[in-house]
Amino acid sequence: MARVVLRGFAERKLRAALTAIAIVLGVALMSGTYILTDTINQSFSSIFAISNSNKSVIVTPNQPFGATATVQTKAIPSAVLAKVKTVPGVAYAAGAIFSLASIFDADGQRLNTAAPAFVGSTTPSRFESWATVTGHFPRQAGDIAIDQDAAQRYGLRLGDLLRVAGEARTGTFTLVGILQFAKSANFGGASVVLTTLPVARALAGEADTFDELDVAAAAGVSPAALRARVQAVLPSGFTARTASQQTAHETSDLESELGFVRTFLLIFAYVALFVGAFIIFNTFSITVAQRTRELGLLRALGATRGQLIRSVVAEGLLLGLGGAVLGLLLGIGVAPGLDQLFKSFGADLPDSGTVVETRTIVVSLVAGTTITVLAGLWPAVRASRVPPVAALREGVSLGEYPIRHSNVGRLARLAAGAIAVVAMVALGANVAGPIGAAVMLAIAIVVWVRPARRRLAPAGAALMRSTTRLVSLAVSWRGTFGRLARENTLRQPGRTAATAAALMIGVGLVTFAAIFAAGLKATINQAIDRSFAGNLIVDAANQSGSAAGIPAAIPGALRTVPGVRDVTAIAFTQAEVHGLSGKQSVTAINPRDFASVYRLDWDQGSDAVLAGLDGSGTVLAKNFADSHHYRVGSRLRMLTPSGRRITLTVRGIVTDNARLLGDLTITLGLARGPFAQTTDAVDFISFEPGARTAQVQPQVDALLNGRFPQTHSQTPAQFKASEANQVNSLLAFVSVLLALSIIVSLFGIVNTLVLSIFERTREIGMLRAIGTVRRQIRQMVRYESILIALIGGLLGIVLGIVAALILTATALARTGFIFTIPAGTLVAVLIAAGVAGIIAAAWPARRAARIDVLAALATE
Amino acid sequence: MSEPSPAGANGTIVAADELTRRYGQGEAAVEALAGVTVAFPAGRFAAIMGPSGSGKSTLMHLLAGLDRPSSGSVTLDGVELGTLDDTALTRWRRERVGFVFQTFNLLTTLDARENILLPLAIAGKRPDQDWFDRLIATVRIGDRLDHRPAELSGGQQQRVAIARALITRPAVVFADEPTGNLDSKASGEVLELLRRAVDELGQTVVMVTHDAHAAAQSDRLIALDDGRIVHDGEALDQAGILDLMKSLG
Repeated sequence: MARVVLRGFAERKLRAALTAIAIVLGVALMSGTYILTDTINQSFSSIFAISNSNKSVIVTPNQPFGATATVQTKAIPSAVLAKVKTVPGVAYAAGAIFSLASIFDADGQRLNTAAPAFVGSTTPSRFESWATVTGHFPRQAGDIAIDQDAAQRYGLRLGDLLRVAGEARTGTFTLVGILQFAKSANFGGASVVLTTLPVARALAGEADTFDELDVAAAAGVSPAALRARVQAVLPSGFTARTASQQTAHETSDLESELGFVRTFLLIFAYVALFVGAFIIFNTFSITVAQRTRELGLLRALGATRGQLIRSVVAEGLLLGLGGAVLGLLLGIGVAPGLDQLFKSFGADLPDSGTVVETRTIVVSLVAGTTITVLAGLWPAVRASRVPPVAALREGVSLGEYPIRHSNVGRLARLAAGAIAVVAMVALGANVAGPIGAAVMLAIAIVVWVRPARRRLAPAGAALMRSTTRLVSLAVSWRGTFGRLARENTLRQPGRTAATAAALMIGVGLVTFAAIFAAGLKATINQAIDRSFAGNLIVDAANQSGSAAGIPAAIPGALRTVPGVRDVTAIAFTQAEVHGLSGKQSVTAINPRDFASVYRLDWDQGSDAVLAGLDGSGTVLAKNFADSHHYRVGSRLRMLTPSGRRITLTVRGIVTDNARLLGDLTITLGLARGPFAQTTDAVDFISFEPGARTAQVQPQVDALLNGRFPQTHSQTPAQFKASEANQVNSLLAFVSVLLALSIIVSLFGIVNTLVLSIFERTREIGMLRAIGTVRRQIRQMVRYESILIALIGGLLGIVLGIVAALILTATALARTGFIFTIPAGTLVAVLIAAGVAGIIAAAWPARRAARIDVLAALATE
Repeated sequence: MSEPSPAGANGTIVAADELTRRYGQGEAAVEALAGVTVAFPAGRFAAIMGPSGSGKSTLMHLLAGLDRPSSGSVTLDGVELGTLDDTALTRWRRERVGFVFQTFNLLTTLDARENILLPLAIAGKRPDQDWFDRLIATVRIGDRLDHRPAELSGGQQQRVAIARALITRPAVVFADEPTGNLDSKASGEVLELLRRAVDELGQTVVMVTHDAHAAAQSDRLIALDDGRIVHDGEALDQAGILDLMKSLG
């Protein structure tokens, strides 16, 4: 039997290759994702290890909320360093600054816009991980050194001037040194400048604090022993770790951040595999139908149903394993390409090669193989239902043969099905969390729940027929061959449906993303129109380094500009409210002038309540208050990002259409203190009556350029445009990832066309015999392909719209999300689907046209 | 007109008792077989004849356990097929029954040798080399064993199919229009082979045909019309068969 399978496989190499692609691409994205994230992880882990290597003990502030970069934590006071120095066994201790910054060359051009940039303090040479390539380390206030990569990229030479905008202040410096970090030209892709400690402190706004304390042990004192002694003298809120503990801690922080990227990319890999499952299901079904006689013969010769099922499953296993191995290799091959991609974005990862964990291999192979086998199960069962008389009769349809099941057999099948479903869901959950589990469950339902299939089948067939009629308008005007194409599409509605469904999923998700993006843009626009009463918005000019806040000194500076009436700062932070799960978003505002630039709908309270807000009170968003039953007067205990526990009283409840305000709104003063939030997110400017944007904005920009070059001002219209840009580029990114699933589904169309042409060899021979020219045959195939693609595209768009409607009506019901259908985009998607159909048809059409007339007519 | 013949008596290999087979349901139902009782003794060559739609193929499918009757029973080598579930029936069939089809039905991906040995491969059994050699000599295909079906003539393909049918030493070989797709020379060779399978190898052959020349090679002739047996007796010569067929219209 094994030989029959292998031979059949070898005979159908082309089909096997086309089908395997369905698995290869998905697995490649999956293994590529793992390899990429593992490589980044290992690279940074080695960076951390090198940074910490020459230190015995390292002291850092606690991060009660984890390593979320958007929340500031409190810094380490100088007094703590003095205390640490007195600990017995400490040979040497020093404090260091490492803070987000923006770097500009002499012409005002910003360096390294794709990755974050940092300003660090020089440390005593025994702790220093950097080495100079040329020049020397900064020695005095005007000195600065920069990483070699940035120096080369921007043609910087010793003696050049550089401007650095820190979280508090901006300064101009002379380049005195070019640096390497552990023989790497940069620091994991980030640009780093080093200055003397006092300068770094001034730029970061940490007059009397440090970000980190480094401690060297005296001879004979173990790091672990010293760590315990240091920890004993630390005030609460700070932790001492040995170098290896610190490396592990930083690596695990990074891992949890990379975990998000990994899950995000894996979702697309699973979507591609899910689409691949449709194609495998379809191909196997067609193959089984075409082999009816052969299967019947095997049955007549004594093959049991089990043997036939096993032979088809074995084919799936072989195909799945082959596809998964190819996908894995492709993923490994893709990884250096991804590395290059990262380099082109300015991230020079330390040379640690390509990390292929055992987990990557196992998960890729298991996922690829399992999905293929599962998708082939139902066709396998169908294959086993071929009655033995099929070998003797023409035109036997599947499933008529009365089959006697033993109860044991039925039970065994049920159990096997249940185990398979559980295994799939567990695998999905393991790999991609709840989303993976849901995807797997969906596959399981499609494969296993036959009653649902039976009930849905007639409705599905009716939908197919009407959709086909609708889209066939696109080709019916092309006369006979357009009509023939339509009839061919309708001949096997199930097959057409499965092929189109594969495309439908990709198109559906693109549609969903497009609607969501359009809605987001509309929502942002409406929110700004409704809520923003000011004239200009100041925020960080470069969004990629969005972790960086803007200096708190901006409002004071801008108030001096003629024509400016009010400047109010808004900061974002977080809190963990006692008794609630997760973290709550917190917005800090200046009570005095916030209401003058921003309109709120009060549920309980008024603008006066806001103006009177002090450090003991908070205003809640209505959604948040409603879901947790808070009222005015409720007292909320909470933990701040700096580890402080405070209690605030609810003073008012408000609806904010623009959702600038988080779950809680507090005063800026409170944010600066217990929340340790020293930078702001955005400033709102309002003008004096009669002042004109054309006059005031240039002056505002001139001031910002001079003192806060990392920021810029935008009118509401400019702000809307730049927000729309960001939404669009996110949409483009998601669409590129979804394109993979769409490519997979195009191979499905190619596969179906090739198989159905093979089936119709005789018919095509007849058409040719009665005078159809090759061009017309090609046309017919092309029309059929366009029809399948348009069916998939149309159903996908409908599916996407429905999914978006459901999301709007449920999860987004009270968020003010505006449901918008981007008609132009959707029409473009549909046209693209049709064009994709033409591309998919190119090769099958040529094959069909090449069929030899006489040989075709002689075919059985 | 059927001749009652208790199953198992006088070395009976296959017996049918009051077999009926209906296709479809309700008013559209078609009765392909309307109560057929017949028995086939071992070591004989029987021919089943009848016009198109007479039920001869249906009878063969039921006798071979390829299909299940609407009512009645089939006993094959002492076992009543209706008592077997699908897997047991398949096993029984693969041990006791050989098939020769009108369209040869060789697997195009396997060569002649592999096709002959396929029933054993399916059953997971080792071939008996002596028996294999004897069959090859009998069907005279020894020089074409490494060829695939596409490289063989129709007559050669059918000879391979006969060897495949006999490789398991079945209790009975069913031949479904074995000469239907062959020219007269190849037909003659195939019929001679089936004859020798009975005379020299001691096999039992049941052949469905509408070719009078083919039927004339048999020991016994059964004629069906409208799903009933209308003749069951010793073999006739070609002229006698043609007369019989004419009378059935």
